[in-house]
Parts: sequence; structure tokens; C-alpha cells
Amino acid sequence: MSQRRIRPKYCGGVHTGTTELIICSHCDTVHRPIGLEKGQVAYCSCCEAVLARTGLLNVNVTLALAATAAILLLIANTTPALAIEFGGIHTQTNILASSFSLAGGWMSAPALVLGLTMFLVPLVQILVMLWLLAFASAGRRAPACRGALLLLHALRPWSMTEVFLLGVFVAMAKLSNWVDVTAGIGVWALSALTLVLTVLSLVDARSFWALADSPA
Amino acid sequence: MSAIVRAAASGLVLCRTCGLVSPHGLADEGTRCARCSRPLFWRMPRSKERTLAWLVAGILLYLPANILPAIHTSGVGGEQDSTILDGVVSFWRAGSWDIAALIFTASVLVPITKFLVLGLLLGTVWAGSTWAQTERAKLCRLVEFIGYWSMLDVVVVALTSALLQFKALGTAEPRLGIVFFCGVVVATMFSALSFDPRLIWDR
Repeated sequence: MSQRRIRPKYCGGVHTGTTELIICSHCDTVHRPIGLEKGQVAYCSCCEAVLARTGLLNVNVTLALAATAAILLLIANTTPALAIEFGGIHTQTNILASSFSLAGGWMSAPALVLGLTMFLVPLVQILVMLWLLAFASAGRRAPACRGALLLLHALRPWSMTEVFLLGVFVAMAKLSNWVDVTAGIGVWALSALTLVLTVLSLVDARSFWALADSPA
Repeated sequence: MSAIVRAAASGLVLCRTCGLVSPHGLADEGTRCARCSRPLFWRMPRSKERTLAWLVAGILLYLPANILPAIHTSGVGGEQDSTILDGVVSFWRAGSWDIAALIFTASVLVPITKFLVLGLLLGTVWAGSTWAQTERAKLCRLVEFIGYWSMLDVVVVALTSALLQFKALGTAEPRLGIVFFCGVVVATMFSALSFDPRLIWDR
């Protein structure tokens, strides 16, 4: 089936679609939006999927959280998450270091997946959010707003820092049978990062896309 | 409760990327969403076929992922190749049943659940079944939610082999099993992402 590529004319928040209706992406049921109180969640009346959340956080709070996440990600990757000592030798590692140590030959594939899902994807997500929210906080639409939002959408399923955190605990339990294991600052940064990213992931994607409708 | 109205039946189409609702007709012409510029579709194109292809790939990769060793350890106690399941067994024997259960869940239970659920969803959708639609919709979301936790083993092997570098006293190195295991996670994630849950409700 050939697909005609018609690029819609897009200028400053004018488009032919509507945000007056909400369609469930899981079952195609049409809903009329209702005003949600703070912290409320709307579920689809047909398939019970989450339809909408309240704006949960305002722009400035979300911006502050994204900035916090950026700092935490930096700390988590510059300090050791785990360190062990054995026979006078000391080794330590964190997300980036363990991905790099895996690289080489066939192992480059999992190394790449780890580096992407545990570091690069969350990093780009945080930077994109900072970009969008910094402009939104100043009451403006960010340049390259649509591209930034598309990137955010594409990356959404691929951020896995929480799995790394669990992996650190399992590795800690595994190694403590033989050697002295110390949890570094990286673990604390990683725990906090996981928490902040989880809160950020609860921000309704619709409220991000609403930024594209704001005046330039 | 008011009657349920489907977008496809009421002249509307949803953009799966940005959530914008567009009028009927746009999807027929293969146009793009006015807000985010992604193509508009009634249903994701070739959703069933793509889900099946990634699912088969995942199942095929799962065999070597479990048969081949995932990690190689050497030290004073001798040299040893261990598969992921060997790891579970050794934790169990050492009395750490909780860690054993955690790794078993991440590396066996989660992937097998994903295979079964995706297989079930595909089978019922292909047959046009109307059986337990709400429950199947929930299963579909469950698969998306648990998807990436299987990455746990890859993380543990990476951390262990990065840390255990004590030359003659003890080293750990990753083995090919982990490459396949990583492939399983990625393939099943693509499979779940390719599945259009709206197909469950279509007749």
C-alpha cells in the first residue's frame, strides 16, 4: 500500500485536530474529558486503561524535578555504585563503567543495550524535558518543540534505570559471599534518580503535547 | 453508564503518538497528524505480523540464552562456566532463596509469561474472538509493564564481571548466553510494542 506523504501545514498551534475529545489508545473508545481534581486519574470505561491524569505537577515543579534528575544522573555516573576489595586490590564500577567493561567482540551488543537503556536514553529524556520545560516556564514554546516531543515519545519505553538499581542489589548479594562489598554514593544517587524519573514518567504525555499548542 | 462509542465507528481517528483526535478520512488518505506529523492509522499497519515475527525471534533466542553459559568465573576454587539457571540453583543451595526467586522471576517467569501472553493475544485476535476482552486488555498492559525487568540478568553479569577482576585470585567474564538473553529482552519488547491493543476489541 503506497502512502501519500502529505505534510500538514503547521504554524503556531493551529491544526485541524481536536483535544476536546479523548480516545482510549488501548480500545478506541471515545470519551469526553472531565475536569480532574489534583491527583485524580481517569480510567477508560471500556478497557480500564489509564486515560488521563491531572497535570499533577505544574511546569516549574516538573522543571525542578528534571534538573534534579540531571544532577543525580551525573552523580550516579561519576561516582562508584559498587566497590569491592579483595587481597588488597580494590575495584569499583557504575552504570557507564560496567557497560564499557562489557564491550568488545560479541559482548558489544549487550554493552550497547545497557549503555543506551541505562544511561543515554534517560540522559536524552532529561535533557529534552529541560529544554521543553525551561521555555514553557518562560511562557514560550521551545524551538524544535515537535521534534523534541517526538523524541520523548520514542524513548519512553526504553528507559531502564530502575532495573539497574535492582541489578546492583542482586550483584551486591551475590558478591558478598566471597568479598567485602561497599555500596558507593552512586547507589544513593541511583535510588533517588529512579524515584524522580518515576514521578516524571507519571506526567501525562498529553500535557507535554499541549506545549506544542502554546503560542511561540 | 452510557453506551460505548468506538472512534473508528464515529468518524474519528486517534494519533497514537500525541493523542490528538482527527476527523475521519484523514487516516484513509494516509495523511499525517496535524500536530505531531506522524502518519495517522486506524490500526497500526501489519501489527499482528510484526508482533508474531518479533515473538518468534524472541522464543528462538531464548533457547541459546538458557543453554549457553552466561558467565565464566575463575579463581582459587577453579574455573567454571555457568548458565543463568545455574546461577539460580547456586543461590538456592547457598540458602539465598529470595535472590534465587528474584533471578528466576526476571529470567524465566517474565520471559515465559511474555511468550504465553503475546501468543494468546495474537491467537485470539487472529480468530476474532470476543472472549474476556477486558482481561486480555489488562494482560496486554501487564506485558508492557513487566517487559524490561528481564534485563536484570544482563545487569548482574555486567556488574559482576566489571568488579571481579583480581587476576589469579578471581575473575568473572561475560559469556555468549548473555548476548542472546539481551536479544530476548529487546525482541519481546519490540513484539509488545508492535501489538495494537485496539485489535482485541475489533470484530
